[in-house]
Amino acid sequence: MGVDKKIKKFLRDAIRVAPKISDKGEVFELRNGLVSPYPQTRKDAIRKIIQQMTSGKDVSSLFPDVLKNIATQDIEQKKLVYLYVANYAETHPELCILVVNTFVSDAADPNPLIRSMAIRTMSMIRVDKIMEYIETPLRKTLADDNPYVRRTAVLCVAKLFQLNPELCHELGVLNDLQSALSDENPMVVANALAALHEINELDPGCIDVKKLVSENVRRFLNVLNECTEWARITILESLSEHKSVDPMESREIVDRVVPHLQHVNPSVVLISVKCILMHLSNLNTVPESLYNKLSTALVSLMSTPVEIQYVALRNIRIILDAFPDLLKKELRIFYVKFNDPLYVKIEKLDILIRLLPADNMKQCQMLFNELKEYAKDFDHEFVTKAIQSISQLAIKVSNGGEDTHDKFLNTVMEEFISIIQDREEFRDISMICIGDLLRYDSDSNLIDNASRAQLVAIISSWQDIETVFTSDLGSCNYIWFITNYTSESLETKLQPLVEIFEDLGTLTQMALLMGAVKCHNSVSGSFLENILQLCTTDVHDLDIRDMAMMYWRCLSIENGDQVINQLFDRHEIPKLHSTLDHFSPEMLKSLLQELSTLSSVYFKPISQLQHRSNDVHIIKNKNLDELKGMATNEILKNQNDDVLLDMGNDSGTRSTGVLDELNDLFDITGDMGKVNISQNKNNNNNTSSSHATDLLDLM
Amino acid sequence: MASYVAFCDSKGKPLLSRRYKDDVSQPAVELFQHLLLEKEQESSITPPCFHHNGIHYMYVQYSDIYVLALTRSVSVNITTMFAFLHKLINVVEEYVKRVEEESIRDNYIIIYEILDEMMDKGIPQVTETKMLKQYITQKSFKLTRSAKKQKNVARPPTELTNSVSWRPEGIKYKKNEAFLDVIESINMLMTQQGQVLRSEILGTVRVRSRLSGMPDLKLGLNDKGIFTTNDSKDDSPEPVISEKKKNSNIELEDLKFHQCVRLSKFENEKIITFIPPDGEFDLMTYRLSTPIKPLIWCDVKVQVHAGSRIEIHCRAKAQIKKKSVANNVEILIPVPEDADTPSFKYSRGNMKWVPEKNAILWKFSSFQGGKEYSMAAHFGLPSVSDAEPPKLKRPVQIKFQIPYFTTSGIQVRYLKIEEPQLQYNSYPWVRYITQSGDDYTIRL
Repeated sequence: MGVDKKIKKFLRDAIRVAPKISDKGEVFELRNGLVSPYPQTRKDAIRKIIQQMTSGKDVSSLFPDVLKNIATQDIEQKKLVYLYVANYAETHPELCILVVNTFVSDAADPNPLIRSMAIRTMSMIRVDKIMEYIETPLRKTLADDNPYVRRTAVLCVAKLFQLNPELCHELGVLNDLQSALSDENPMVVANALAALHEINELDPGCIDVKKLVSENVRRFLNVLNECTEWARITILESLSEHKSVDPMESREIVDRVVPHLQHVNPSVVLISVKCILMHLSNLNTVPESLYNKLSTALVSLMSTPVEIQYVALRNIRIILDAFPDLLKKELRIFYVKFNDPLYVKIEKLDILIRLLPADNMKQCQMLFNELKEYAKDFDHEFVTKAIQSISQLAIKVSNGGEDTHDKFLNTVMEEFISIIQDREEFRDISMICIGDLLRYDSDSNLIDNASRAQLVAIISSWQDIETVFTSDLGSCNYIWFITNYTSESLETKLQPLVEIFEDLGTLTQMALLMGAVKCHNSVSGSFLENILQLCTTDVHDLDIRDMAMMYWRCLSIENGDQVINQLFDRHEIPKLHSTLDHFSPEMLKSLLQELSTLSSVYFKPISQLQHRSNDVHIIKNKNLDELKGMATNEILKNQNDDVLLDMGNDSGTRSTGVLDELNDLFDITGDMGKVNISQNKNNNNNTSSSHATDLLDLM
Repeated sequence: MASYVAFCDSKGKPLLSRRYKDDVSQPAVELFQHLLLEKEQESSITPPCFHHNGIHYMYVQYSDIYVLALTRSVSVNITTMFAFLHKLINVVEEYVKRVEEESIRDNYIIIYEILDEMMDKGIPQVTETKMLKQYITQKSFKLTRSAKKQKNVARPPTELTNSVSWRPEGIKYKKNEAFLDVIESINMLMTQQGQVLRSEILGTVRVRSRLSGMPDLKLGLNDKGIFTTNDSKDDSPEPVISEKKKNSNIELEDLKFHQCVRLSKFENEKIITFIPPDGEFDLMTYRLSTPIKPLIWCDVKVQVHAGSRIEIHCRAKAQIKKKSVANNVEILIPVPEDADTPSFKYSRGNMKWVPEKNAILWKFSSFQGGKEYSMAAHFGLPSVSDAEPPKLKRPVQIKFQIPYFTTSGIQVRYLKIEEPQLQYNSYPWVRYITQSGDDYTIRL
């Protein structure tokens, strides 16, 4: 009995003597805990410290005491201390020397887990003292007989390179990295490859990765099937960047990559698609079945998590520009689901219009009904996009050219008439779309007169114009419509806008100017003069000033009336052919090469985003173009001046010349009637930007 | 690739983060919540990636948390990042059961360990839970150098870097069994008149393996593309193109396989062979876009008497074989936000008003094939309302499960299990179930 009691007492004491750290964990308490003679207390203290570190508290003051616990046999505790050291080492560089010994000895530990943990942490710490000692452990782990350690070590070379490239060169570990490409273990190969790419990105001249890849293509193809999914991605990425020497090699790559289109990991699928697309042009013959496989692979990405769907949709948008026939049969998969997030819905709409075969009236009608449903949604931006899509659809279908298609435009116009009547909040986008449709139908034979009359009646009845439109493009289209299709009480309709002239957008200002000049017969002289005055004095935009000056001169010459009328003859306005934008060839090429990367989602090639120096260059180029344009304007204007001065002598023969020149000038400065044409001009770099910036770019 | 991976709470405030490269600092992670708010105010379109000050944020929303990755490089493979974040959520879920703010806070140590092993220098490494569980365990391990206790030491399993990186060696079961579930989810959009606007079948073959050793499995299905050996080599081994004579065979589209399936073997010989991971996993998924008729159909009529009341009549019918039964049928019908004082009449099941969803929910625990039930609901509407009558833009959503039945007609012909060394008897079990997908709706 006595012994039993003694044991009980001993146990009680044992529990009592290993003190717990309170949940609050004050700093002094933690410090005492760290140096406690009881292992359990020390570990408890470290846990609490990590917890506080996680919640964002600065516990770096405990650094020296935590360090004392690094030499432990307990893996979990070791991991925590390593985590702590990695986080705070840079705040106590002078104390790091204390842990170097542990790092070095841990890197030679019999347990591979510890070895790789030690080297992993060591290579992350940006402290010179530590780096001085990294050589031995790094070399040892690079040559470790456990692949788990080797695959960690190869990545450490890249980490070290980021911290200190000179040291990397000095140690010659870059050579080890290159020879790791022929390691027997696929994961080591993949990580070495990833490390090489990272180094290449930091210093492009350092290692010729392209050459290394081309030397190892066959090896990569062989290990591909033995890798983990992530390692496959790395290898497939390299294969897609590889420029194959002959069609045979491309053929082999494509054959080996095709099975990966059925991998469960969406990233493997997308990178395989990219890899195949990159090698497609090298193949002598491309079997139709390959295109089918690519299509199904892309479609399968639509049953992945929404974020990946979004990436896939943005990438499909790029792929479709280069391979428009790829997903032709897969329209239905892109129909919007009601529980899709908005950003997916918007992308889907864009893809739908692009995919739609314009010669299949049944599908067109179906999509039209679908879009009408979407336009009844409650989200403003989705409805706006849906309305825009309806007009894009109408133009695409009408381009199909058959009689039945012609009627379609009328049906769509009727839909728009009901939209502008029922849904006031969407007047902006509707007005823009109506403008597009009317410009598409500039020969006036598709939309019947009844619809036109109805449109005129509705739109001219709108009151308080200055508050109806919120976008520059919306009000610009309104003015275009009013001045082209109505002639009554123009002045009263436009006056509210003139009163806030300085606050208007550039497009609207330009529209007002051109509208007023065009209808100079139906507006009063003072109204016209007021606008011309505003445009020449209060506007900062050079184009508007120039145009205003030119018109003013035209109006003041003898037969200016005639000149103006000829300028604004509606048949001279180029017809709008499509409202779908496309990438420029160079842009498309780089985006295809960058599929599945962040840049492809932004639609901005890496060259544009990363190298600032290039940016400046581009801006300079733009400036040059602008200057060129301005110079041409100037010359033309001077010529006009000359001609106008000459007018007295032989006006009869010369006046046509003046007209031609003015027409030319018109083409350069941009006809406001052509506003939306800017969208389908290819020379815009940024397709996703708004119409307004496009137009500005163009000018 | 990724410089930081972080778990954030529902507002975007960081809960736990792990740094992988030092080109992004902690304050950038803390900025996320403000940026998120800013983006949400700017526009209702908030893509899952954006950039600020040269740092790119990629995030995934899951239950009440955000999981995000940060990077400085635009050449980062964003699909990999999103795929990794989803995988990370799955792995954490298997460790801590539910991934939410509280469980992240409570399990910070284990999550740090997981983050450490799953990613290195921002590059995904080992993401198979089965393997991770071999050396990251909730218990802490003591390091001992004595040879006797070697087994207890946490070490990376050697299989980790093998070509079969998903299955440890030396698994042993008394009874060797493999369970196969063929699950088909139906997505369907219908009009109120009963016209099917679109439909698709998303199928999954889920395997739960309880097999010893390193078994090699071979799966036979009645798919046309699989097992109809096609002699022409390169041009048409495509399942889609193969002959359409055999009616019992069906055509599966975009098949996707778990990484254990030998893809090149399938590509060349159309045979599904694999060494399964231990436990449960999705062996393959497929999609079928063949038109199908509604399995559970609801004829919904809504009459709105503006300013006084709204009446909803609904007839639900199970258009499946008489001997089949649909379980857990739920019909969710939207009602206006300002509706009140509900009253219901119904012939079967259970009905209630769910004000937080602005809908009524009609539930059946079982619904016999061929049967038809009806209900009527009546709500009061406020007599004074906004100028514009609120539109019922939300669809009717239907959920159901029908066991012992697949819509596509897919059948497992055989599942051969061979273990070259142990040579045991094994028992494959097959179950079929058809259920509603996340988009089985009737547009009102």
